[in-house]
Parts: sequence; structure tokens; C-alpha cells
Amino acid sequence: MDAFDSKRILLADADAFFVSVARLVDPEGAGRKKLLIVGGSPDGRGVVTSASYEARAYGVRSAMPTGKALKLCPGATVVGVPRKECVERSKAVRVILQDFSPSVEQASIDEFYIDMSGTEGLFGPDLKFTADEIRKRVLEETGLPFSIGGGTSKLLAKLAAQRAKPHLDNDGVYIVAPGDEIEFMRLHRLGEIPLIGPKFVERLEKIGLQNVEQALRLDADAMVALMGERTGRWFYRRIRGLDASRVRAGRPNKSLSHEGTFARDISNDAELEKRLLAFSTRVAADVRKKRMKAKTISVKIRYHDFKTRQANSTFTYPVSADRPICEEALTLLRRLRKARNAPVRLLGVSLSHLNPATGEWQQLGLFGDPEKGMETDHDIVLSKAVDNITTKFGHKGIVRATEVKPREKD
Amino acid sequence: MKFTVTREQLHEGLTAVAASVPTKTTLPVLSNILVEASDDGLRLSGTDLDIAVSTVVAAEVDEPGSVTLPAKKLVEIVRELPSAAIRITTAGEQRVNLECGRSKFRLLGVSKDEFPSFPPVDFEDHWKVTSADLQKLIGHVSFATSTEESRPILNGVLWELRADRMRMVATNGHRLAKMDVPLTSAGSTADLIVPPKALDQVKKVFGPADEIEIARSENHLGFRCGATRVFTRLIEGPYPNYDQVIPKGNDRIATIDRQTIMSAVRRVGVVASDQTHRVRLSFSPGTLQFSVNTPDLGEAQDEISISYDGDAIEIGFNANYLLEILKLMPTDEVQLAMQAPERAATIEPVGWDDPAAYLCLVMPLRLVD
Repeated sequence: MDAFDSKRILLADADAFFVSVARLVDPEGAGRKKLLIVGGSPDGRGVVTSASYEARAYGVRSAMPTGKALKLCPGATVVGVPRKECVERSKAVRVILQDFSPSVEQASIDEFYIDMSGTEGLFGPDLKFTADEIRKRVLEETGLPFSIGGGTSKLLAKLAAQRAKPHLDNDGVYIVAPGDEIEFMRLHRLGEIPLIGPKFVERLEKIGLQNVEQALRLDADAMVALMGERTGRWFYRRIRGLDASRVRAGRPNKSLSHEGTFARDISNDAELEKRLLAFSTRVAADVRKKRMKAKTISVKIRYHDFKTRQANSTFTYPVSADRPICEEALTLLRRLRKARNAPVRLLGVSLSHLNPATGEWQQLGLFGDPEKGMETDHDIVLSKAVDNITTKFGHKGIVRATEVKPREKD
Repeated sequence: MKFTVTREQLHEGLTAVAASVPTKTTLPVLSNILVEASDDGLRLSGTDLDIAVSTVVAAEVDEPGSVTLPAKKLVEIVRELPSAAIRITTAGEQRVNLECGRSKFRLLGVSKDEFPSFPPVDFEDHWKVTSADLQKLIGHVSFATSTEESRPILNGVLWELRADRMRMVATNGHRLAKMDVPLTSAGSTADLIVPPKALDQVKKVFGPADEIEIARSENHLGFRCGATRVFTRLIEGPYPNYDQVIPKGNDRIATIDRQTIMSAVRRVGVVASDQTHRVRLSFSPGTLQFSVNTPDLGEAQDEISISYDGDAIEIGFNANYLLEILKLMPTDEVQLAMQAPERAATIEPVGWDDPAAYLCLVMPLRLVD
């Protein structure tokens, strides 16, 4: 394949994004700390969202409880996540990237895929040179350091970006040239390839595949014989760095969620249900704000021992009103609690399979009483009224009676 | 235990009972059939704890006894055996030898003590109905039950027994089927909510000429004819007020050839959405037009001649709901009556030469804006 025919995809990945933003927000405080943990509180509650590379050297990782992180790295300073600033800076980065290509896909708050195919005439054929330019401009205009990986697929760009990280003694850009894909893939363990998780690695080891090298020796038919048609073909392409997925600019929301880690673990079911209702109401309102309806709902629980469980269910017809969403969320929570009734540190609810709210056909019901997963006109009108109030007075403008704290008597 | 039975007798008995044996179960003994040999013959019983079926087939019993044997394997073996006498003998507590001609099998069973006992239903006080009537009711109504777990009551068929009639009603909340059959031998009044799976068994196990005795305990219902019995758990709770949702004033009435409308719905239904199966019906004097428009898939139009002289009306339905109902309508022509695009439509047979009365209704689909 000629170099000009192949895709040229970059992944711009911020280096310790939350840490960088926290330092920019507070240059005199967090900005001066080498050992910095963002996320949770100094008394050890919550979880680490991100940590400086210096703190990571002590073994601190994101999603680790802040208490544990402080034990590993006692000298670290803990600051909260500057959420608003993070969102603003992320947007600013996106705007800059769009100067280089119209096709920018935001994969997360600090990761952006950029399709540079066909831009050779503008920026020259050297992708490394373009990537350096992008890094320089983002750093100058937002103060945020980024690493950029590049290759002929999103998968290669993603893996290359990890190799580009400055703490690995790189200069922040790593490009896999067309034709070098397989050589590059050989550098990786199977488990390092995205979407090849620990369970799959275990399965691969059982059939004698320990590394990419061994897997490369099997042809597609052998893979299919070992793992079935779909997985086999997928895996065959995957280990060669082949990934047909496109950079999708302005990708719609796949799901919306609301979750929270509690200040203290909660064991009381009534209390959990109260929290869940508050989260469900919020996420339902978010879905309505986007003029969408959701087909699937999931409730997630993380127990005190960090074991995480999730329960999902699918609505017969897409919904966005509070009642069916809250009712189903409660059913799922009760199912999870029935399976395990341990103290809970995190609770979350998410709505997915979102589709535009209008133009859907709805099956009318015979009985006036609402059925599971079907919203009635009454539900829709009620939710609209609630939305009108929250638009004017904010989310505390109207809450469920269960969320109101009893007033202390004088 | 020692007995001889013909392959045909055993096969017939096993077929009746095997359908009640669960394919997946956490209680291993439920995958087995209880085999009891006595002077009355050979009793075969199976249960999934919700439904139990038991029947007796003629056998030459030399030595009474009982054991449970794996249902699936037993059925498969008997199916493959030639038409000849089958000799079954126990060898020890749970081992069974089966011989037929030159074929020999040895099967491992489970002790009969582990097999659950059947629900105690006293047949002293019973209703008597003909199997033919029961089959007619079941065949036309039980399809409409809900399979969703959210409202367990709709997972059952409502069976009303009155002095002069019996009625079955089933609905999933979107469509409903109702049939009345007059009764001659009156029994006491009862409202029972029966799982459709049990009714299917009843329909299968009893012959159309049978007179069936039906009795209930607090939580169970029993059906009996001769030595064959079916027991089922009853679903508890109040059934929704279905009478209230049956429209009385549907005045836009079309008379339609059943096969013609079914073919048209099936044709245009090909491009209907997989989720809603929506088909739009436009009635105007003499004509019924069908149209389907599914974004990302395509469109279809069709038209048939009907007998209709009411005001024009457009109404959307789930094609599957329409087809299920039309398929069961017992006459060549059906009457479809509507009032408004968002109100229930009723479908009834036209000129049915039968004492039974049959009515189905289906709720339309509505476009959300």
C-alpha cells in the first residue's frame, strides 16, 4: 500500500491532564508541588483521578483510593479535581486541533483522535513534523503538555501515544510509519493492546499464545478455528495493528451517567435508594436536555472492598421521564443488593442507547396504569414541568421529598 | 420392580409427561420421570414444580415398585426402539435394565424419595367441562398473555367459571383476547389465573372427546380425566378490569377478507421496524391502504378492497399483533371496528357458526412528537 493511500491518524493524549490543570489553576500551591495527587480529599476519602509522574513513581495510580495513595506516597499533596477548568481547557484544546483537521474525535476529556489523511498538501508529508507543531501550539496556548502518537489506524495511534510519553524518555511524539505496523506491534504484550483484557489474555494463554510474536505466526483460518469466526478474524487484524474504525467528528453521546463516591460507606438500603433516586433524576434530566430517549439503564455499585457490580435492563420503548427511569433504577439496585448486601462506597446510574426523542412510535397501553418501561403522557408532562423549574432555579429548585433533610426543631 | 410394556404405550405415556420436565433445572431430580409400576399399570409423572403431569399406561406388572429415570434419555431410547415389547427391571436401588428384542440398556436413576410430591388437590368438589370446549378456549386466548416479568398477573390466563358459561381472557397490556363458551353442567363460580404453559399441557395431554374434571386447592388447580392428571400453580392477585377497556362505541366498522388482509400485512410488514413493527392502515370507503415507512430501511405500500362506508381513518398498528389475532380468527371474514386513531380497535369473526363468542382487541401505535 502506498503511503499516500493509507490513513494518517494521530492521537493527542494529555500528559497527566488533571494534574496539569490543577497546577495551572493554582500556580502558587499545587503548581509548586512535585508530588501531587488530584482527586479525593487530604483525609484520604475518594479516589485518585490523576497523579503527577513523580507521585506515580511511588505506585500511585488513578482510580486508587486516595487513602491508599497517601500511604504509598506520604509526602504528596492532595487537591480536588478542578472540574470546570478541566472542561474549559479540554474545549480549548479541541478548538486548536480543529485548525489542523476538520476531523477531530474527542475520545475522552483529554484524548483526541485527529484524522490527518489528505492534509499532506497543507502540512507536508512528515507526520512527525505536524505532530510536533500541534504539540507546540497546544502547549503555548493552553499550557497543557500533550503526547501524540500516530499511525495508519486509531489502534496504532493509541499504542504509539503511550510510547510517546515524555516520562518514557521520548520527546512526546511517536509515529508508526506505514509498513512498520507489524514491527511496532511486536513491541507489545498481548494485554497491552486495547480491548484485549485480562480474561481474553488468560484464554489466549490457554491456547498457547503468550505474545504478539506467537500470535502473528497463525493465519486467519487458524485463528477462526481457535476462537470462532468473529473473535478470530477480529484478533487476527488486531495484532497486526489493523483497525477499520474511523475518526468520527462530533460523535454523539453513547451514554449519560451520574455517579458519586460517598464520604462514608453506606450500608443502609433506604439511604442508598435515596441517593440513587437523586442520581437517576439528574441523569434523566440530562437525557431530556439533549432531546434524547434512552433504551438501556445500568446501575453500578462499588463495594467497600472495591468489587464493582453492575446490573442492566432494557426498556421496551425508549424513555426519558423520571418515573420509569427511577423505578427501573430501584429494581436494579434491589437486585444488586439482594446478591450482595455489603457497605457501598460508590453508586452510579447510566442511560445508554440514546436516540432522538421525536419521531418514535409508541405502543399505546390498554390499562391506564403505567407499565414497566413505558412512560405515560402524565410522566412526560410531569418531567417537562420539573425541567422548567430546574432551568429557572437549578437542580435544587425542585427535589424529591425524600431528599429533603428534616428541619431541626427549635 | 419388573414390568413389560409395549413400545407404543410407553412412548405415548412419556410424550404426555416429558413436556412438563424442565430442560434446565437446579434440582437434578426434576430432569427425571417418576416411573411407578402397580396393579393398575404403569404411572409416569413429571414436574417442573410449577406444572405437574401424570398419566397411566397399560403394562404387565410382575413386581410393583418405583424409580425415577432421566426423562430425555428415556424418551430418546424409546423413540429409537423397534415396535415390540419392552421389559424393564430394576437391578438394585437405582439401576434399571431395559430390554427390547436384542437391544439392551442400563440406566441410572435417582431414588423416588427425592421426587417432589404432587400438589394436594381434592377432586371431590369439581367442575366438569369437555376437553373440546377447553381446547377451543385455550387455542384462541392463551397466545395473548404477556411474557414480560414486570406484571406477573398478565403472565396468566384469566379463567372465569360461571353458572352458565366459562370465559378466558388474556392480555399483555397492548392486545387482548376474550372467548366465552356456554356451559351446561353448572358448577360453583370461580376466577382462576392459570399459567399458559399449564393450559398448553392440558390441550396436549387430553383428547378432544375427553370429559375433564377440574378442581382447585388454595394455590393449585388440577385437571383429571381417567388416570391422567395435570396440576398447576395458580397465579395470585387481582386481574385488571379488562371489561372496562373493551370499547363499546367503536362505530367505524370494516368487514374484511381474513386471508387478504393477512397477506397484505405480511407483505408490507417485511420492511416494518424490527422494534415497533409499525404498519399504517388508512380506511376509506371500499378501500384499505397499507403503508410502512421505516427510516434507514425503506417504504412499502399496498391496497385491498374491503367493505367499509364510514369516515376515513388512519391508524397505526404493530403488524405482529394484527397477524397473531387474524391467524386465530375462525371465519373467512373478520370485522375490524375502530373509533379513533389512538383508541383500541376490536376484531371479531363474522358469521361464526359456533355457540362460542370471540373478541380480540389491539391498541394502536402513536407517533411521539
